[in-house]
Order: sequence, then structure tokens, then C-alpha cells
Amino acid sequence: MAGLTLKNVTKRFGALQVIHGADLEIEDGEFVVFVGPSGCGKSTLLRMIAGLEDVSGGEIAIAGTVVNDVEPSERHIAMVFQSYALYPHMTVRKNLSFGLTMNGNPKADTERRVAHAADILQINELMDRRPGQLSGGQRQRVAIGRAIVREPQVFLFDEPLSNLDAELRVQMRVEISKLHKQLGTTMIYVTHDQTEAMTLADKIVVLRSGRIEQVGAPLDLYDDPANQFVAGFVGSPKMNFLKATIASAAADAVTVVLAADPGVTLTLPISGRPEVGGAVTLGIRPEHFVDAGAGEANLTVDVDAAEHLGHTSYVYAAVSDEPLIIERPESRHSDAGKSLTIGLPARRCFLFDADGQRLR
Amino acid sequence: MRMQSRIAYAFLAPYLLIFATFWLWPIISSFLISFQNTRVNPWRFAPSMNWGRLVGDPAFYNALYNTLIILVIQVPVMIALATVMAVLLNSPLLKARPLYRFAFFAPVVVGEVAYAAVFRLMFSADFGIINKIIGTVGLAPVSWFDNGTAAMALVIMAVTWRWAGYNAIIILAGLQSIPGDVYEAATLDRVGKVQQFFHITLPLLKPIILFCIVLSVIGTMQLFAEPFLITNRGGPGGATETLGLLLYRQGFTSLNFGYASAIAYTIAALAVAISLLNLFFGREAK
Amino acid sequence: MRSKSRSLLMRRLVLHAALTPLAIIWLFPLWMMLVFSTMSDYGIFSPDIVLVPSTQFIENFQNLQADTDFLRAMFISITVAVIYTILSVMLTSMAGWALARYRFAGRSVVIAIILGTITLPFAVVVIPQFIMVAREFRLANTWVALIVPPLFNSLGVLFMRQAFSMMPSELFDAARVEGVKEWRIFLHIALPLARPTMAALSIILFLASWNNYLWPLLINSKPGMMTAPVALGTLIGLTKVSWGGIMAGAVLLTAPILFVFIFLQRHFISGITAGAVK
Repeated sequence: MAGLTLKNVTKRFGALQVIHGADLEIEDGEFVVFVGPSGCGKSTLLRMIAGLEDVSGGEIAIAGTVVNDVEPSERHIAMVFQSYALYPHMTVRKNLSFGLTMNGNPKADTERRVAHAADILQINELMDRRPGQLSGGQRQRVAIGRAIVREPQVFLFDEPLSNLDAELRVQMRVEISKLHKQLGTTMIYVTHDQTEAMTLADKIVVLRSGRIEQVGAPLDLYDDPANQFVAGFVGSPKMNFLKATIASAAADAVTVVLAADPGVTLTLPISGRPEVGGAVTLGIRPEHFVDAGAGEANLTVDVDAAEHLGHTSYVYAAVSDEPLIIERPESRHSDAGKSLTIGLPARRCFLFDADGQRLR
Repeated sequence: MRMQSRIAYAFLAPYLLIFATFWLWPIISSFLISFQNTRVNPWRFAPSMNWGRLVGDPAFYNALYNTLIILVIQVPVMIALATVMAVLLNSPLLKARPLYRFAFFAPVVVGEVAYAAVFRLMFSADFGIINKIIGTVGLAPVSWFDNGTAAMALVIMAVTWRWAGYNAIIILAGLQSIPGDVYEAATLDRVGKVQQFFHITLPLLKPIILFCIVLSVIGTMQLFAEPFLITNRGGPGGATETLGLLLYRQGFTSLNFGYASAIAYTIAALAVAISLLNLFFGREAK
Repeated sequence: MRSKSRSLLMRRLVLHAALTPLAIIWLFPLWMMLVFSTMSDYGIFSPDIVLVPSTQFIENFQNLQADTDFLRAMFISITVAVIYTILSVMLTSMAGWALARYRFAGRSVVIAIILGTITLPFAVVVIPQFIMVAREFRLANTWVALIVPPLFNSLGVLFMRQAFSMMPSELFDAARVEGVKEWRIFLHIALPLARPTMAALSIILFLASWNNYLWPLLINSKPGMMTAPVALGTLIGLTKVSWGGIMAGAVLLTAPILFVFIFLQRHFISGITAGAVK
């Protein structure tokens, strides 16, 4: 088992730079999730850790040893691929043992490891089938089994659940989480799905355009996003963003006026001193709206549609063409076409400057 | 990745070795030989000897003329025939499709010598089954091997028989890659079958047909076995002598390697030029 | 509805009326090859039109064997074709694998060589190749001369490259992470998965070797070392020779491969169309 350190890691494909100086510390036994929109570089970063892509600059260290020039097979890692990458012409048993056999691992030990992995994943009855005869979920298990067999110090998962249907995805998510608890091995997991990130991770790494935007525990990212991108990416439905301007700034509070409704002003507990008259963005999560009068300001919106899920409802609305999603627990009446007044609680609102950086 | 280069070349090594020994060096050496007098021992550098001879050699012009005649008549006829075969074989209305496919594709696997022998026998002037059949219709027998024009026609027929199916296979594969909904849409737009062929099928097949033409041109430029075996070494009197046959005679009967090399380069240059011309016209019309 | 089914019937009739005579013409030479091979020379040169096989095949074959040692030539042809096919599949798969799966310096040069030689007439190299093999290496009338020079086959490399590059790269990455050596990845994962492509390629290569005429004619013209097509070719045009025997030889050259063709048509066709894929 081992921790990982990335120091100013960069990756270039010819003239195109896809990773811009990533710094990251991963503790031994941690479950770390790389999350970000497609093309953010999360898979490339994972493949660099695996040794499948060269490092253009900086250092990657596993268990304190710099592995930039170490072959993938010597890094004590195992990887689970998005497409599972099972060898289609081999049985499950052969798939699990292939790597060990090719490296001259003693036969008895290989058999022991394969049996152990099969037990953990409950795939004993599938051992003599071929990948083509397995369902998506079973293939996924075999792919994970192939990683377990290697008894690695670090597990790498590259979007392992994205080929499964929704129900199976939830089920496998739970199993991977259990597996992590059972093995206690460091795991690095890449996904574009923030729900997977939130539910699995000890630590989330949010990436955008080859840069690490923020690193933190799931709820820290939720409660305390560093910038507008992370705020928008973590949480579902997405955080609402409303254009606003700074009306006044005191020592420990800032008052803003909403662009969509100049009648709405809100004073937020922010100590930084932004320029008065500057354009900012006010962020509030759908679930943080309160009843009219219960917050520090009231906002009246035009309702376009409402979705009732039973335990809660999502109201799709707009104020002067700026769209909003409002979550209303225990609400069952549709206000479509009408207007709705709701409360804005100041301590739940975030403020971002013109560059998207958080004003604190 | 420096490692990757090493591994890649390890995999490529045997192949590249064969290439260097049996292709690259011969191609270069062929060019050098064409500037040498190879009729003296040892060979001497005589830059204008072979190329000069080529320019003024009536045998060369005769072979070039014959080759171009075959090219101009045989290639279009064969490609048109192959297209028809492919389109008809592709029709959903066809019954006993495997039988028809077999009939057209079987010549593809038949060797040059075997089919040359049977054509020679079939077209024999006195005893050939073809002349016997022509006779039953009341026509005069054709002396396929003594009449230059008839001999040329025979070579063209033989080559067409051997290669039409080959091209039909390629065109058929092209046809099958055209999505069916294109035709369904056209049918709903009340476009007739014949119009569909000319306005949908042919334009979509154009790249494949061009590919077939290029292959056929290259094949025809070095045509050898048919005039060698069927019409008896390019007979009668050189009427079916092709560039490929001239090359063989100069190189391996007269052992005049220098002159044969010059002919070889001429064949290659013509093949490349005609292929490029084809591709050029194909591109431009797009 | 009725008019639709009637026009369909008409179209079907026209289609078959067009294709059937063409198919008969196309089959005719092959049929006649069979017929001739069973007729005596007397029968072949009689004024009658004979369209059905007779019973003289064995006698014809004996005549052929008397004219040239055809059994020996067949043995050489088969051996050469088998060895050539195995070697060529190995060589082209290795080269195709390298081109499909590695980024390396000079890759574009190698690809240019392959694309450049694919359309290059054999005529350009035949003379110096002959000089090299026959005069410099002194290999005329040997097995090596028949097998090795034709091993350079660009179309096969492209065909294999196509097959390898269509395989998902994660498959090979997975093995790499497991520490499997590159040549073992090639041998244990890539090659087994490329089996259908290799089958198609093998058939095409075997056919090419079996039917190859010009090169064996030039390089192996000594009676004991001739391939079957060359041996048969020497008889064509001679006067005192059994035509029934030649036809028996033609049938022996053609029938086995035609038989294979009937059962493996799909492989033949994918081998032939491989060059057109782009």
C-alpha cells in the first residue's frame, strides 16, 4: 500500500498542452476521485500515473519513489478500464491469471489469488465462461477481479461504471465502496459523474482544462467551493447563478443588487473588499431557497414548469430571462405560468468575481 | 517514446529487410542498369544507349500501341461489365444468388496458365469449340491466332473473363456499404430504379470504381501471361506483343538487361501517369 | 397491390434473363476445361461439338506425366505455397502490428513505402531482382528463390494493420499494466483476435503463390525445380504434346482451389476487398 505525490506534472501532445502543472498529495489508503467535464485531462492524468502516457514535465512518485521512467508493470498499480478491456478469447479464469502467468508467477500462488478475487467478487460460477457470455455487470466484476489479483498498492479506475445502466451503476458503486473498505488500498477513480464522486470519495480532485481547480472532501467542496466552476460542478441540480453588482462594501459585509431585479438587495458576510459597482455572480443552490420572508431578501420568479418527485419538487423558473431551479420539499402544487416569491438566505449564498473566483 | 521505436522496428525488421533486399535495391539498380551497355562484358556506362534505342525502336512502339489499345478497350468494357454484375448480384430480387456469384467469381481463383491453356484450345481455328459453334450459326470460322485483330480481341476477351469478377467483388462490397435508407428515401421521392442507379449508386461508387480502374491499368501495363501463352508469344507477327512481353523478351530471351530496365521504367512511369490522371479527373469532378 | 406485385415479377424476370446467359458464358471455359480433360486427343480434335465429360482423365494424366514430371511440380507448388503463406502471414502481421500500435520515428516513411509499392508494377523490379537472385546470390532453381523474394507484400501489411488498429487499445494497455511483454501481447492477445483476418489473408497469399507464374518461370526453369504452372506452361505451344494431358493438368491446378473457394468464399472476398478499404 502506498501514497502518491504529483509535483508540477505536465503533459504535452506535440504543441498541445493538456495538463498544466498538477500538484497533488494522495494519502495511503485514500479513495481519491478525479472529476471534471470530458476533455478536462482527468483520464490523461490517470494514464500518466499508470505509466501508459509519458510525463512531459514534473514528477510522479508512488510510495516515495519517482516513477516517471518506471514501466507500468513495475509501478505496483492495477487498472480497471472503461471498456473493461477483458481479453475476449480467454475464459474468466484465464483473464484473471493471464498477467501473473506471463510474468512467471508460481502457479499455486496464481491459483490462490484468482480464487481469492473470485470469492471477493462472487464470480466463482463464471470462471469458465468467456467475456462475450457475461452481462455488463459481470464483466465489470471480472475487470475489477483482474485488478485485485495483482495485489497492487494502488488501484486505478478509469470511468469504470459509465458503460452500465443506471440501476447497475448504483449497485456497483456501492460494491466498489465496500471493496475499498475491505482492502484498504489506495484507489484513484476517474469519472465525469459528480454523484459518483460525492458518494465514493474521501477526497475529490476537480479538474478543468488540464488544471486542478480544487481538492477536498466531498462536503467541503459542496459547502465551500473555491470558485464558480467547482460550485457549479458539485451538487445536483446545479447551483443557480444570478448576475449582480456590488452596491456597497463594508469591513465584514458586502451588499449586492441583482441585475435581473434591481429591487432585490442582499447583504452577505464577506470580508474581502470588492470594488463598488463591480460585476459579480451570486450563487445559490436549488435546495437552499427558503419560504418568502424567511430569508434576508425575497425574490419573485416566473415559473415555467415543475417536476414532482414525491418527496420533493423542482421548479424551473426565470427572473428576467435568467433561469433558476428551485427545490421545494413537500410541495405538490404546480405553479406553472404563475409567479412565485421565495426567500434568499444570505449565509447560503456565494459570491464570485468576474473571473469566477470566490469572494469570501 | 524511444522504447516504442525500438520495439516497433523489432517487429518491422524482417519485413523491411526483405523490402531493402528484393525491392529497394532492385529499383535503384534497375535505374542504374538502364544507363549501361549490358551487351558487353563487363557492363559499361553508356547513358544514351538504351534510352536512345527506346525512342527509335519500332518494336517498342508496336508494344506500346498494342498495350494502349488493350487498355483503352479492355479496361472500360471490363469495369462496365463488372459494375453491371455487381449491381445485378446485389438485387434483392435475385434467386439462386450463390450460383451466380460462383459463376462470376470463380475465374478469380483460376491461374494464368490453366485458363490460357483452355482458351487456346477453345479458340483453336480448326478444332476449337468456339469456331464449331460459330459454324453452326452459319458464320465463317475466325482464325483467332493468324489474324492480328482477332488475336487482339481474343486477348481482350480472355483478360476480361479472368478479371471482371475480381472487380465485381470489389464493386459489390462498395454497393453493400451504401446505406439502404438512401434508396428508401429516393423511392419515397418517386425516383425510378434506373435514375437511382445513375444519380445515387454511380456517384457513391465512384471512388471504388476509380480504384478498380487504377488496379486494372497497372495490371494491363504489365500484361504478360496472356499474349505469351494464348497468342503464342505475342503473335501473329507481334500483333499482340505487349510492353510486358517485350520486357520479357529483351530481359530474359535476349538477356539485354539494360534495355529491359529502360522498358521497365517506361512501364512504371506510364502506369503511374495514367493512374494519377485517373485520380485527378476523379477528384476534380467531385 | 396487384400492379405492384406484377411489376416486381417482371423485374425479376428481366433480371434473371440478363444474368443467366452471362453466367453461362462465364462458366463455359471452366466447364470446357473439365470436358477437355476427360476427352482423348482424338476426340478434342474431331469436328463434333462435345459438351459433356468423357472418361479419359486418368489416361490424359498419364500422358501429362510422360510429357513433364507434373507430380513433382505439384509437390513443389504445394510446399512453396504452404511455406510462403506461413512466412508471409508472420511477416505481414508483425509489420502491421508495429504500424497499427506504435508511434515511432520513421513511421510515416514506412507507410509511404508500403503505399508506394502497392501500386508499383512488378515489372520494375523483375529484372534487377532476377539479376540479384540468379547471378549475385546464385540461387536460381532453389526453394529459397521461389519463396523469399515474393515475401514482400504491402497489401498484406495494410490488411493486418487494419485489423489490429480496429481492436480497442485498452485491451493492450490492460496487458501492459499487468507487465506483459510487448511480443507476448502480440502473440497472446493480438494474434488470436486477428485470426479471421489472418485466415482471409492466408487464403489470398496461398492463392497468389499457387498461381504465381512470371517469377517462378524466370527463376526456376530447370525441369526438377519447376512449379506446376511453369511446368504446364512449357507444354503450351509445343506440337507433339497431349492436349488432353494439358487440360488434365489445368484441372489439377484449378479444381482444388475452386473447391476451397466454394466453402471459404467469404474469406476470399474479404481478402480481395481489403485493398479497396479506405
